[in-house]
Amino acid sequence: MSSAPGSKRNKLVPMAAHVGPNMTPMVDVVMVILIFFMLGSSFASRNWYLTNNTPAIKGGLSNIKTHAMPATRIDIRVQMRGTRAMVMIGVFQTEDLKGQLYRFLVKKKKLFGKKVKVILTPDNNVPYQDVITVYANCVKAQYHQVAFGYPRE
Amino acid sequence: MKLQGIKPMQDMHINVTPLIDIVMCLIIFFLLVGHIAKQASIKGVKIPVAHNGKSISNRSNELILNVVPRHSSIAGVQRRPRIWVWGQEVPQANLGEMLRAFKRKNPNLRLVLRADQSIHYRYIAPILTDCAAAGIDSIHFMARRP
Repeated sequence: MSSAPGSKRNKLVPMAAHVGPNMTPMVDVVMVILIFFMLGSSFASRNWYLTNNTPAIKGGLSNIKTHAMPATRIDIRVQMRGTRAMVMIGVFQTEDLKGQLYRFLVKKKKLFGKKVKVILTPDNNVPYQDVITVYANCVKAQYHQVAFGYPRE
Repeated sequence: MKLQGIKPMQDMHINVTPLIDIVMCLIIFFLLVGHIAKQASIKGVKIPVAHNGKSISNRSNELILNVVPRHSSIAGVQRRPRIWVWGQEVPQANLGEMLRAFKRKNPNLRLVLRADQSIHYRYIAPILTDCAAAGIDSIHFMARRP
């Protein structure tokens, strides 16, 4: 049976379906990967830094150009007493590398003002952790010029 | 009278192509950053704890120097630690030369010292001296939050 031209039966039905791949699962997976990397990168950066702009002592190391030093300086020696580190600043001595040392440094800072330099000279056998603890105290006490000394053998 | 039929609904899907483009770029970025970070920091370094410090947002011009301890069979004796830069071991004797080359290439170079907390100062001091000799006057000591 043939239908007459122009009748409704012969008209093309428009395509309603979406042609192409289904992107939804891909977007889901990609978003999960993205969130994983973003969280991973934020967990990875849990470190912080102690900055220093004065790496060496003037005159202490020949042939090395260093920054000019203020006249007032505090010499901090760090030595090992058994298994513990001891800080010596003149006649002041302490094994309390946090509280007592910090209070002493703050007191000296008030006394000397801004133009004071600290020279931190740990002994050869002082662990890096103790060096960093003492240095962190100097930074906390607002000493902006802290130089590291070379220990004598 | 000719009756108008209901028009078929048009396709109402959201165009996800730009979204996928951006997300793919972000993933590639994080992958690359992760790869670079892995190269820059070596495992086996227990960095020291510091009760104060600051975060650094600007990480450009940075050179990370890893100082990895070597365990000795003799108790109480510490062997000379290994120094790693960009995934390669650098002998102590060549460190000064290498730092000078980096400094020549990048005058705004900043050194990040990532040393193990147990290393004795006798092995840290020469590194600081080499930095001073190379003209690197900005050193960041990497520390761990307590």
